Amino acid sequence: MGVKLLLEKAHVEGIRGYEVYRREGGYRSVEKAIKTMSPEAIVEEVKKSGLRGRGGAGFPAGMKWSFIAKPESVPRHLVCNADESEPGTFKDRYLMEFLPHLLIEGLIVASFALGSNATYIYIRGEYAWVAEILEYAIGEAKTNGFLGKNILGSGFDCEIYVHRGAGAYICGEETALIESLEGKRGNPRIKPPFPAIQGAWLRPTVVNNVETLAAVVPIINMGGEEYAKIGVGKSTGTKLMSACGNINRPGVYEIDMTISVEEFIYSDEYCGGIAGGKRLKACIPGGSSVPILPANLLLKTAKGETRYMNYESLSDGGFATGSMMGSGGFIVLDEDQCVVKNTYTFARFYRHESCGQCSPCREGTGWMEKLLLRLEKGQGKISDIDLLWDIQRKIEGNTICPLGDAAAWPVAAAIRHFRDEFEWHVTHPDEAQVKNYGLAHYADPIHVPA
Amino acid sequence: MNKFSEEKLAKVKELISHYPEGKQKSALLPVLHIAQDTFGGWLSADTMDYVAELLSINPIEVYEVATFYSMYNLKPVGKYMFEVCQTGPCMLKGCDDIIGYIGNTLGIKPGETTTDGLFTLKTVECLGACGYAPMMQLGKSYREHLTKEKVDAIIAECRKSAATNN
Repeated sequence: MGVKLLLEKAHVEGIRGYEVYRREGGYRSVEKAIKTMSPEAIVEEVKKSGLRGRGGAGFPAGMKWSFIAKPESVPRHLVCNADESEPGTFKDRYLMEFLPHLLIEGLIVASFALGSNATYIYIRGEYAWVAEILEYAIGEAKTNGFLGKNILGSGFDCEIYVHRGAGAYICGEETALIESLEGKRGNPRIKPPFPAIQGAWLRPTVVNNVETLAAVVPIINMGGEEYAKIGVGKSTGTKLMSACGNINRPGVYEIDMTISVEEFIYSDEYCGGIAGGKRLKACIPGGSSVPILPANLLLKTAKGETRYMNYESLSDGGFATGSMMGSGGFIVLDEDQCVVKNTYTFARFYRHESCGQCSPCREGTGWMEKLLLRLEKGQGKISDIDLLWDIQRKIEGNTICPLGDAAAWPVAAAIRHFRDEFEWHVTHPDEAQVKNYGLAHYADPIHVPA
Repeated sequence: MNKFSEEKLAKVKELISHYPEGKQKSALLPVLHIAQDTFGGWLSADTMDYVAELLSINPIEVYEVATFYSMYNLKPVGKYMFEVCQTGPCMLKGCDDIIGYIGNTLGIKPGETTTDGLFTLKTVECLGACGYAPMMQLGKSYREHLTKEKVDAIIAECRKSAATNN
């Protein structure tokens, strides 16, 4: 069993309620932070921990905090990004649903460190019942003196408000989220100015993912240096993985980033192997926007080394032969799955979610969707594959926000690694409608059925 | 024209208090959720104008938001809306069969409502329940690990609930 810092108590009976959470050691980090530490010392501790943003970008959290501007008499805000929408990702929901007080505890410490007296949890609108769980937990924290005026006699005031979105992937992008918090369409802003200087209501704002903020609790409790000893290299601490697709044990797992991809997929502690005794074909290890990898490149790097479940190892080989940790949305495809169809559903997703501000993304995502549908239906041409490649190249890097890149990467990787499967859909249009291309040379070379 | 009850107006006032003074527009998304829940599951132009008035903003500011977010319905929908996820992870777990089965059972295609006004079938993009696929959203709850049998049970449950509530 690996180290558990976040989900250790997830199965304790009644942990969703304040009483049990407190009895199990909850809110100790708030006491430690507010009574014995300065806001600067907390930021320093988070820097030392090496914690990287868990939403997808992996930016060092302590550094992000240190960027916040502190102009005289201008309020600052902390906003928790709970707009979890990257296909394949459902870890934040799990954390909020079963351990709401862990998030609130982290939010109080982070609010104190950043000087936020009004902190917001921007939660995706569909998680309506989770919003209710959070509101109830906030009420409990307030009743017990951890929120409201003069917390623990420190003179620090803090309120946490839950703000429900209404169905828009783009609002997971921090400036779109801020626009949405202000009651507008979720159109990302041009940066600079960054939110740390001018965020919500043009005030200095820090936006962090749910898991990032929850991780502040163990960091304060154990100290940044101790936290940094867990994991490997720049992948410190633990990471929540959402595992889904054709595996025996889909669900949310906390890993300490030292385990191999092979262990994560095949160990009964995690995914429990491929469902139905089938073979592994491919995997998207970090949410829909990161490159898909065929099994042979997933389990071992291009150099033939074991690939591990951490930021560096998953991206080993760059986009040519590697992928990314992303949001930790681990999507597994078995031998009977069609990569063209899977890529089509992602392209449709990004077309649906494009905010429409930038023409490369607005036009490009729709165009890619149409071409992929045509190929999937066996009505495509070989030149469509090259056209797809060309379109994704022209979206990437040419938009205000990373949604364009997120839409381009899955298409690029699918063509890069599975071009023969795309071509087969053109050369065998009728067959492609009744069966799948199969494993070809992509198969997992390690786990071969007898 | 529809108006909120005193209780709901108090809720709106409380929501506005969550945001800085003069930034009452920030309460727009939450207030639209309440309006949709209150006035028949969708937002008519009248409802949107009413929300604009409550928040002292221009009607256009409400329209541009209501048309942006997928959870706001701009047309009447059935009493029970089956929003079935169709993105990659759900596709890998057979959501196409579930969507087809619901459509055949209710005699409607995605985007349509049954003639008795009870059911709407809608395909949606990722709802963050990928590990529990295939799934759908029904009102404020998620129905996960869907099978044909489960779909039958959910439809029966809705019919029963409609019969007792009317």
